[in-house]
Amino acid sequence: MKQEKNILKWFNNELSEQEWDDLKQSDGFETLNKIAHYSSYFQAPKIDAEKALLGFKTSHSTKKEVKVRTLNFRTLYKVAAVAVIMLSASYFMFFNNDKSFETRIAQTKTLVLPDNSEVILNSASLLSYNKKTWKDKRDLELDGEAFFKVSKGQKFTVNTDVGSVEVLGTQFNVKERGNYFEVQCYEGLVGVTYNNTQVKLTKGKTFRIINGIIENVEDFNILEPSWLQFESSFVEVPLSHVIEELEIQYDIEILLENVDTDQLFTGTFTHKDKNIALQSVTIPLKLSYKIDKQTVTFYEYGKN
Amino acid sequence: MSSKKPNLCNETYFNEFYLQHIQSASNFAYYKCGDKAGSLDLVQDAFSKIWENCSKIDFTKAKTYLFTTVNNLFLNIVKHHKVVMEYAKAVPYQEATNQSPEYLLEEEEFKQKLQHAISMLTDAQREVFLLNRIEGKKYKEIAELLDLSQKAVEKRMSGALKTLREKIDNI
Repeated sequence: MKQEKNILKWFNNELSEQEWDDLKQSDGFETLNKIAHYSSYFQAPKIDAEKALLGFKTSHSTKKEVKVRTLNFRTLYKVAAVAVIMLSASYFMFFNNDKSFETRIAQTKTLVLPDNSEVILNSASLLSYNKKTWKDKRDLELDGEAFFKVSKGQKFTVNTDVGSVEVLGTQFNVKERGNYFEVQCYEGLVGVTYNNTQVKLTKGKTFRIINGIIENVEDFNILEPSWLQFESSFVEVPLSHVIEELEIQYDIEILLENVDTDQLFTGTFTHKDKNIALQSVTIPLKLSYKIDKQTVTFYEYGKN
Repeated sequence: MSSKKPNLCNETYFNEFYLQHIQSASNFAYYKCGDKAGSLDLVQDAFSKIWENCSKIDFTKAKTYLFTTVNNLFLNIVKHHKVVMEYAKAVPYQEATNQSPEYLLEEEEFKQKLQHAISMLTDAQREVFLLNRIEGKKYKEIAELLDLSQKAVEKRMSGALKTLREKIDNI
């Protein structure tokens, strides 16, 4: 045991003279000494340190770049901006609460609103409402002409550029074409608001404004607007509005030669036959017409 | 290393550290695996680990970290070579005048026995023994290097010597 300690000391170069002499006398010293001697002449492969470093740098330099990664805020802002744009765009695309219907010239459309009210849109008209607030407030925007069969319920309001129409449950027709505004009540009670004054219409009554002037119109006793039967009816209406209506129904352009557009027209024209319609307007007014493709010219009878 | 705050992430310090320890680290790796090319690869990998983790390593502990990493990497390698050490050159055990052919033959035989005996040592014993013999390191230094207690190093050394003596005397 003591010898073992001394051997360890020997290999660690900590042996004193005395201990060294003792050890020399011990068994197996010769072998140990030889081991100690020869084993110190082993060698490990010599490394060319500079070359190894160079090799290390080339083979491991790529790892260095992966190490540090800063957050690029500019890219982040770009990504954020794109995300915001896409979100808001999709909001307007998919969550747009405005529902609108549109008819073109010479086209009508029958719609059923969420409360089962029925709307028939006449030609070249636009109707829109907000789906979200519809439950609380039956509000519609109308540009053009439409016939409403309103189911009973809360206040039902049709807004136009000229005036608004309020009802509870009834049937009525609203016509708003340029400076011509007309509401006709076919059933129940209709309230028309124009310039902050409200006019109540009972069945068969008409409220009409032309160029901002309220006109008196005789009562009617038909059950629904004539345009639902593909006819347009007029009672003492200036010719200019009749012509407007003709243009909308037949997709034509009407030119006038020495024709008084203020003269009043009472009558009906059909939506089904252009020639008959033109005749039914021109003949009572003692006018003639000629057709050139999409253009129709009215002129005084006998002058051409 | 004279600077106040040496940092291994600094390339200058890293290069200095590398050049200083590459030889001893590769020796150490060689004692363990006995493969020339393999030992250098081991050490290069260990250095690259240090380079990657440079910010986390205390400069003063880097050397121990290096040797520990070599050790761990070595343990990860499945392939295990039989470690046969090579002699640097013929070094006569006794005075040159005393060399009879018979004696030289005997010596040559002893050297071969020693080589064989060393290859029979355990990895732990061999690395301690060779670090002591070839590099002349004290037990205390070896203990620091391997992150062991001095007692453990002494025990390994003792065991190594015992095995060697038995192998050489018996064969």
